[in-house]
Amino acid sequence: MASNKKYWKSVEELNENSSVVAGLSNNEFVSEIPTDEFLGDKETLESSSTSRRDFLKYVGFTTAAASLAACEGPVRKSIPYVVKPDDIIPGVADYYATTMYDGMDAAHLLVKTREGRPIKIEPNKLMNGSTNARVQASVLSMYDSGRLSGPKKNGKSISWSDAQSEIQGKLVELSEAGEQIVVLSGSMASPSTNAIIADFAKKYKTVSHVNYDSISDSGALDAFEEVYGERALPSYDLSNAEVIVSIGADFLGAFQGAELEKSYAAAKSLKDGKPVRHIQVESNMSLTGANADKRIVVKPSDQVYALVNLYNAITGKSVSSKSTKADQELMKAANQLKNAGSKAVVFTGLKSKEAQLVAMEINAVLGSEIVDHNNTNTLKSGNDSAMDQLVADLNAGKVGAVITVGTNPLYTYAGAASLAKGMKKAKLSVAFAMNEDETASAATYALATPHYLESWGDVQMTKSSYGLVQPTIKPLFDTKQVQDVLLAWTGSSESYHDYLKSFWKSNVLDGTSWNKTLHDGGFESKIKNSNSKSVDASAAAKSLSSSVKSGKMELQLYVSTALGDGQQAANPWLQELPDPITRASWDNYLTMSPADANALGFTNPVQDNGAINGNYATLKVGGVSVSKVPVFIQPGQAKGSVGLAVGYGRTTGLKSEMQVGVNAYPLAQGGSWMQTVTITKEAGTHKFACEQLQHTLAGRDEILKEATLADFNNPKLDPKHSWNALPMFSYDHSEVEGEEVDLWDEHDRSIGHHFNLSIDLNSCTGCGACVVACHAENNVPVVGKHEVRVGRDMHWLRIDRYYSSEVESQKEAKELGMSQGEMYHALERVSENPDVAFQPVMCQHCNHAPCETVCPVAATSHGRQGQNQMAYNRCVGTRYCANNCPYRVRRFNWFNYAQNDEFDFNMNDDYGRMVLNPDVVVRSRGVMEKCSMCIQMTQATILQAKKEGRKVKDEEFQTACSNACSTGAMVFGDINDPESEVSLLKEDKRAYHLLAAIGTKPNVVYQVKVRNTEEG
Amino acid sequence: MKSVNKHSQFQRIVLSSLSFLLFFSLQVSAQQGDPAKGKELFNANCVACHKLDKKLIGPALEGVSERRSREWLQSWIKDSQALIKSGDADAIEIYEEYNKIPMQAFPFLSDQDVDDLIAYTDNKPAPVAQAAPVASELSPEEQAAIKEGESLFKANCAACHKLDKKLIGPALRKVGERRDMDWLIAWIKDNNALRASGDADANAIYEEYGGSPMTAFPQLSDDQIKNIVKYLDQDPVVKAGAVAVEPVAEVEASTEWMTYVVVVVLFLLAIWVYTKSNNGFLKIATTIVLILVGVYVFFGTLMQVGVDQGYQPIQPIAFSHKIHAGDNKVDCQYCHSSAKHSKHSGIPSANVCMNCHKNISEYNGPVTSEFSKEFYDGEIQKLYTAVGWDSENLEYTGEEQPIEWVRIHNLPDFAYFNHSQHVTVGGQKCQTCHGPIEEMEEVYQYAPLTMGWCLDCHSKTDVKMKDNGYYKNIHEQLSKKYGVEKVTVAQMGGKECGKCHY
Repeated sequence: MASNKKYWKSVEELNENSSVVAGLSNNEFVSEIPTDEFLGDKETLESSSTSRRDFLKYVGFTTAAASLAACEGPVRKSIPYVVKPDDIIPGVADYYATTMYDGMDAAHLLVKTREGRPIKIEPNKLMNGSTNARVQASVLSMYDSGRLSGPKKNGKSISWSDAQSEIQGKLVELSEAGEQIVVLSGSMASPSTNAIIADFAKKYKTVSHVNYDSISDSGALDAFEEVYGERALPSYDLSNAEVIVSIGADFLGAFQGAELEKSYAAAKSLKDGKPVRHIQVESNMSLTGANADKRIVVKPSDQVYALVNLYNAITGKSVSSKSTKADQELMKAANQLKNAGSKAVVFTGLKSKEAQLVAMEINAVLGSEIVDHNNTNTLKSGNDSAMDQLVADLNAGKVGAVITVGTNPLYTYAGAASLAKGMKKAKLSVAFAMNEDETASAATYALATPHYLESWGDVQMTKSSYGLVQPTIKPLFDTKQVQDVLLAWTGSSESYHDYLKSFWKSNVLDGTSWNKTLHDGGFESKIKNSNSKSVDASAAAKSLSSSVKSGKMELQLYVSTALGDGQQAANPWLQELPDPITRASWDNYLTMSPADANALGFTNPVQDNGAINGNYATLKVGGVSVSKVPVFIQPGQAKGSVGLAVGYGRTTGLKSEMQVGVNAYPLAQGGSWMQTVTITKEAGTHKFACEQLQHTLAGRDEILKEATLADFNNPKLDPKHSWNALPMFSYDHSEVEGEEVDLWDEHDRSIGHHFNLSIDLNSCTGCGACVVACHAENNVPVVGKHEVRVGRDMHWLRIDRYYSSEVESQKEAKELGMSQGEMYHALERVSENPDVAFQPVMCQHCNHAPCETVCPVAATSHGRQGQNQMAYNRCVGTRYCANNCPYRVRRFNWFNYAQNDEFDFNMNDDYGRMVLNPDVVVRSRGVMEKCSMCIQMTQATILQAKKEGRKVKDEEFQTACSNACSTGAMVFGDINDPESEVSLLKEDKRAYHLLAAIGTKPNVVYQVKVRNTEEG
Repeated sequence: MKSVNKHSQFQRIVLSSLSFLLFFSLQVSAQQGDPAKGKELFNANCVACHKLDKKLIGPALEGVSERRSREWLQSWIKDSQALIKSGDADAIEIYEEYNKIPMQAFPFLSDQDVDDLIAYTDNKPAPVAQAAPVASELSPEEQAAIKEGESLFKANCAACHKLDKKLIGPALRKVGERRDMDWLIAWIKDNNALRASGDADANAIYEEYGGSPMTAFPQLSDDQIKNIVKYLDQDPVVKAGAVAVEPVAEVEASTEWMTYVVVVVLFLLAIWVYTKSNNGFLKIATTIVLILVGVYVFFGTLMQVGVDQGYQPIQPIAFSHKIHAGDNKVDCQYCHSSAKHSKHSGIPSANVCMNCHKNISEYNGPVTSEFSKEFYDGEIQKLYTAVGWDSENLEYTGEEQPIEWVRIHNLPDFAYFNHSQHVTVGGQKCQTCHGPIEEMEEVYQYAPLTMGWCLDCHSKTDVKMKDNGYYKNIHEQLSKKYGVEKVTVAQMGGKECGKCHY
């Protein structure tokens, strides 16, 4: 481009031979700045002729000059494609169907890409897919700049061809010498990969494949294998369930690879007036327990006895057991189970094979149709005994080569130290990994693998349901898929893509077109029915109840909602996602009941700024101790038990900001997640980043409304004057309903669209998928632990968690006329076992918004489509609006969170910024922001309809949160369309507005939570 | 660095006061207009939207006084909106015809100015000397034959042949001198048969061009082929006459000159008031006036900060929209194809350029001293470098260099704009916002792209509801509820903050 004009700033630049110009183009300063000369000694400084006044003049002048110069905008370049790909139109999103499975979460997905970059994960509704918080956040894990960027040997970069040929040479050598080669992988559920590994084993004779899961369901697999002769897990469909009893199973969190939220919400549906009755027996307050109709709190060891007692009650056998606190309630539950028969199901979270067998027999006796032994769940294949055997073999020097595939046992395996020792004894250690984690950095060769959004692959979810994985972006780093490498080592010149295609055509597709399957994202085949078999678990029950280890203090490990098994620990969205129960982020902690904390001297004092502090404890399980574990006092925790989440405390290959919490995996000695533990208090104060302090409803019964099923079904009760009462006002000398009185004139919104969002508190499980989806869609910044701690979190959408019980205060107890003893008993129950409710709260988009009237610059205003709009460029940051908002949903940008080293998260990273949504602006410091009701999505939908000259279909209107909600709790739509789902929900008898008494007339409507309290 | 043409507020004030003065001074002149002055005025005020002989944004104006009365023209030019509002049938008709884009009001033009303009538009423009020196020596029959030959050549041959340059086939100028007519006829009608007959020349050509046979044209008659050859045997036409330098620039220069004179006069006047005059009232009055003017100018200057109207950066390739969209009438959306689908109009990727430029490797249009044929040919070469096209061997080399265009229209990040909303749904012409793009040698920012400018248009423009199924319900409800047939964009909520800021 020879004729480009030369732009210049000084005449010197016009001189082509100037050495200064040449110097400037290479260095910022031509010569060293002689700072020592004018700062070095006091004399020169004092003898300087520049007076303070002169200095200020110069400062003034340069400031003025700089601001004048800034009036000219920068020159921006626009660089089009040289050859544009046919399927990309700049500015228009493309969607690709794919499937995710990382050993923890499996989901059919739709990936939104813009100009070739995946920016958002959505559920693939065609394949009946649903997403949780970790799946939603997984797109950001791809843009992690800390990923392994290429193959490494002993920590030094090596080329792929060298690494591959070196390893291949060694493999040939080892197999000829008859030494064992072990492929150690997590559950992959990939039929094609299993076939490739089988081919690999055929070529190198001595290969064995060990499956190992960080969150193991080995016991359940063993139990199923014993009865059905097949290593798989039963599938569950709760939608028709009438009674669910779960003993320690967190089936809405992590339970046998099952995704049960959707069918659980269907079971809770109030349409026929008969929602499911869910009874949970547990020690920790889990997400599932929080959603239960009846929660029974017992110690971990009592869970075992409770299971055996329930077994006796259902089967009529009499296996010896101990009585527990839960027995009285359990007998009621057993009756309900028997009455429900085939529509009842019993889960247990106890990991042992015996416990799983007991549960299987209970379900078999009940004739439960909720459990499907036919179309089994094939996601999990971990085998604990094979893993233990491998570690023993490694230490005995029996293994020549170990190849780990996408698993990090040096972090997740309880005996990691012994495994590390054994791995050193192997002649060859190779780790296929995405991050330079503990295992990858211990192995000789660390081979970089792509993220699932950059890969081909397949996932078999159940016997009949398959998902295809397709790349949505060219690999960001120098990575190779393990399947490609294994194919090369096997001597095949075929690429994995070709292999996958031919494998599917001959083994899966059954004549269906490959392209159609790839477009849809998966394939459903038909399977033959087989008969269910009878189970006799009495021996198992006997050994179960006789081998219970109980202690004064028992530890129950659990899987946190945010981080799962910890493989996405580098993901700032997940780190900042508050735990649904504790509302704390960036941490794991020991959850302890208030009574135990009191006895052991642990406290959680609240600071002036609303932050919570805590004390440290040291845990000792057998020979393993973990120190500096912060203690969090958790209402609803069983007395004599403590809980601790796995997935935290990873250090290798993580940025310092992400190295939070303690590693709980080593405490799972012998693979058991229930242990007796000794706790000692340690010195030091821990600073929690906890977002919600509300202990009780504090009398604000208008915020959260609950009803019992009996009241709900009582035709004599008028909801408007009983369980869903409207506020009443005296107006014109008569009592009128609150909504009829108004300070303001009504706006006419009858023409065009009028958006409303309905949130069903009955189906919301508090899973947090919506929170992460909102982050991804709206470029919500991550602010880090300290800012969250001081209450400057930026979540546009938060999920409030409320505890409740019959009485909340001494005063209230007195009003109810309770005796002293009754009162103490009742008040103790508040913290011992409170009821829990979740309530997602975002901007309520009030038609008469208090924030709008106080803005001095009219930066926030109302649209006729019902959205309360926020013009960031107009906002001057007075924060009056946040002060005047009764719902506390406005967030202030205290800092620049993008491209700021103080906030070294995804927005301060060239890779991380690729996930930003180009249709939504990144807010700068000093402006207020809040939920926009995804106006960019509604506008795009409307525009699409206008371009096509048609009406908008009801299901087309979505917000990020409603789209991510797998339970259907959030429904978004146009209330001016009389047939839309949301317009019916708005008129439902359960519908109510938050703080209706203040007359803000919100466009977000909530549905009263109904608890099934029927015990007979 | 930008070459931003900022209209200072001061200049505006001075200009308007000047025209005010002129208005009075010219009242005395007779109605007879002065075409020379009219031309100046036309160039200064009208050319952005009108041409004499062609419809542009507004209608062609040649002989407009034959169509409209002088009085009507006077009131239309001075304030067309007022005339439309008064219910004038002609005015409304024009308004409707031109998609309801109202004509700018020119209140500062005096009656005399309008007369001058009419005088200019009534004059037939001076005929441009047609450069056809050879043609004049030929008989009309010959000329017709050559013309037919030309059109046949363009229809059948131009895809593979050029006159003076090798393309897919050889250059064909004066081919009649090289080959004999019978041979040519045989070759064109069926070159395969000719080669099969063992003709040495035919086989030599076939070998030279890599063994790719030429299409056979059995449909051409002998006479037609003869006409083509006649056309090919013409000497190259030397294009004469450079297009006049844009007169707009001249006028701008002259007003600027006037501005300075007036400023100096006013300044001297103010000095005189302060130093020589003893009239206290005059001093106070002058002070007040100066303060008011100062504040006005200062405020105006501040309001212009960040407004880059007229921004015309130097582009890496001197792509001429005038040649493409103007002279050759390439549809805007042929290149900017995403405008109808996307928020971005899309800068065409270089492969789109190559759809045409694979064949068009040189410029043959009118030239000026500034923009010569060599200049344009050089620019086409730059495209070839970028896309990696070897124009000698007619193949891609694979060495690509993306073109780094300088972005002209820079909306801030916090403003969301969607082209498809305006182009596909609203049916707006590109020119509404981008100005007479087909006349721009180099593109400049035509509109100020300020929020006020957006909102003005949103308040004036009616939503195009007809035949759009989306608006069916809305239209029915509106007409039922308010009894109106049309609503503006603003009435549909197009002025709400959140529609563009999210």
